[in-house]
Amino acid sequence: METMINVENLCKTFKIQRRSTGFTGAVKNIFRPTYEYKKAVNDVSFSINEGEMVGFIGPNGAGKSTTVKMLSGILHPDSGSISVAGYIPHKQRKDYVANIGVVFGQKSQISWDLSPLDSYEVIKHIYRIPDKLYKDNLERYTELLDMSDFIDRPVRQLSLGQRMRADIAAALLHSPKIVFFDEPTIGIDVVGKDKIRRFIKTLNETDNITMIFTTHDMQDIEQTCQRLIIIDDGKKLYDGSLENVKSGCVSTRIIEAEIEDMTNGIDIDHTQITHDESSGKLIVTFDTDKISTSEVMSQLMSTNSVKDISIKEPGIDAVIRDIYEGKIKVRAATRVSADASVGAVAFSNVCHRQTAPQADTRF
Amino acid sequence: MKDILSLFFAYARSGLKSRFQYKVDAIVVIFAVFLREAGGVIAMYLALQKFGTINDWSIDELLFLFSLIFITYGIFIVFFMALRDFPDWIKHGDFDRVLLRPRGVLTQLVLCGADWLAAFGHGTLGILLLIISANRVGVEWNVKTVLYYLMCVIGGVLIQGAVFLAFSAITFYVLETNSLKEIFYWNMRKFAIYPLSIYNKFIQAILIFVVPFAFVNYFPAQFFLQKPDMASYPTWFMYITPIVGIVLYALAYAFWRFSLRFYKSTGN
Repeated sequence: METMINVENLCKTFKIQRRSTGFTGAVKNIFRPTYEYKKAVNDVSFSINEGEMVGFIGPNGAGKSTTVKMLSGILHPDSGSISVAGYIPHKQRKDYVANIGVVFGQKSQISWDLSPLDSYEVIKHIYRIPDKLYKDNLERYTELLDMSDFIDRPVRQLSLGQRMRADIAAALLHSPKIVFFDEPTIGIDVVGKDKIRRFIKTLNETDNITMIFTTHDMQDIEQTCQRLIIIDDGKKLYDGSLENVKSGCVSTRIIEAEIEDMTNGIDIDHTQITHDESSGKLIVTFDTDKISTSEVMSQLMSTNSVKDISIKEPGIDAVIRDIYEGKIKVRAATRVSADASVGAVAFSNVCHRQTAPQADTRF
Repeated sequence: MKDILSLFFAYARSGLKSRFQYKVDAIVVIFAVFLREAGGVIAMYLALQKFGTINDWSIDELLFLFSLIFITYGIFIVFFMALRDFPDWIKHGDFDRVLLRPRGVLTQLVLCGADWLAAFGHGTLGILLLIISANRVGVEWNVKTVLYYLMCVIGGVLIQGAVFLAFSAITFYVLETNSLKEIFYWNMRKFAIYPLSIYNKFIQAILIFVVPFAFVNYFPAQFFLQKPDMASYPTWFMYITPIVGIVLYALAYAFWRFSLRFYKSTGN
């Protein structure tokens, strides 16, 4: 398998004016502006193979969009290198973008007052899509995305889910090798999301299109991607299989206990104990590989009078949240071992890569 | 070239089609633009009834001067609308989409922005004024003058295009340029309605050297009218409008190319 995307030590810093408030502040803003520098992307490296489908997640402001914008040639990086399909995106923009498709969930590329079909006609001219290819693609996506009912209706009359499907087709008409999906399911109902996910998965499997998928919806990732890159505060936190993150949830347990007398300090080895002020409950988080659930329970009960107790298995959302907050440490230290823990089947393509990504410091 | 034309017509088709989704509005817009601009002409006409002439320019000569503004502006908004409204393109993230398409950035902006309806309003008024005034002031149309007139129109369009291209480049640094445009374009345009010679030296200098609106209408009109106030300026100013247009546009283009790298996309 060939490497499709290779990113090394990518950095991007934005200069932001720090605004003072009030009248004097406003005057000060004009005459003596103060700036702060935000490292939106800080030394990120990864590489993605042809045909891979990678979920790109992180909280708002983590640097996902900035990374995607640099990958798609919209922004110039400050330092580091990007190579996609043999192009340097920001230097060879015009030639490069003919090879990619980009879907922004928040920003449609089809015209509000026209039908999707009218917008596709313009796209056909912009991309110089040959008649035959255009016709074939149009036919195929109309069927796969179930668009025949609304393809000739003005976009303003479409539901959000329909509009999104029309937008996805618009990004694919020129048969791109790489597609970036930036929150393609945002605001769409369950059925609509499912249609989109299934389409994306089908396309990845049948056409071997390389895909990067940013989202806040973990369901999107679970149903489409095998590989996950988590980014926060401009840094890569995790790069490895989705399975591995899931197995992180499998071994993590949370016990919530209501205890009569909270004044006693409670300390159990291998657990993290917090006190939830609002519910008054004690929250004990631990890893079943280090300490068994029964052991934690018996220690808890032996020293305290417990009124109520429940055991929870965190869902993938919670695991991701805990990863953002640095509470959970996913076991794999590097991509290589992450692959190893999953086995050779799912990630055999990744294991043979020449350039092993750097170790992730937090794991 | 054929390729560019076919793209231009594809944009034009879809642009007109989307405007004619609201048929009443589309037709009203044309009349609204026509009437709004004609209002300015009528005001001038009424004022001239009182004064007779301004700096020895008769009403018909003034209308000839005025018509060049409308004709060039009518063509200008076919090609440079996107640059006129460029801050919005950046703020709404539309410029990102332009960067994601395998065509020249400026090619797309120039070809796709056309406001045909307003162009129709301005253009009709301009041509109407031209027909009325040219006859009365005795413009002699022959191959040479028609050719020069057309070149001046192109030059005038390019001058205004260059001004907006430069503003668009500035947008990459400061994001909002509407006040700058207000001062350096729209106000200058108001000055250009009257003969250059009525203003003080400072404003004249701006209209000749900074925002050279004088080359959009005053100097080309002098070529046809040969008014005595032309004596205050070098004679060759009457002949260089097309060159001013090309040179200015080239400079603005270089500045635009240079500034493009400073583009910071907006967040989601």
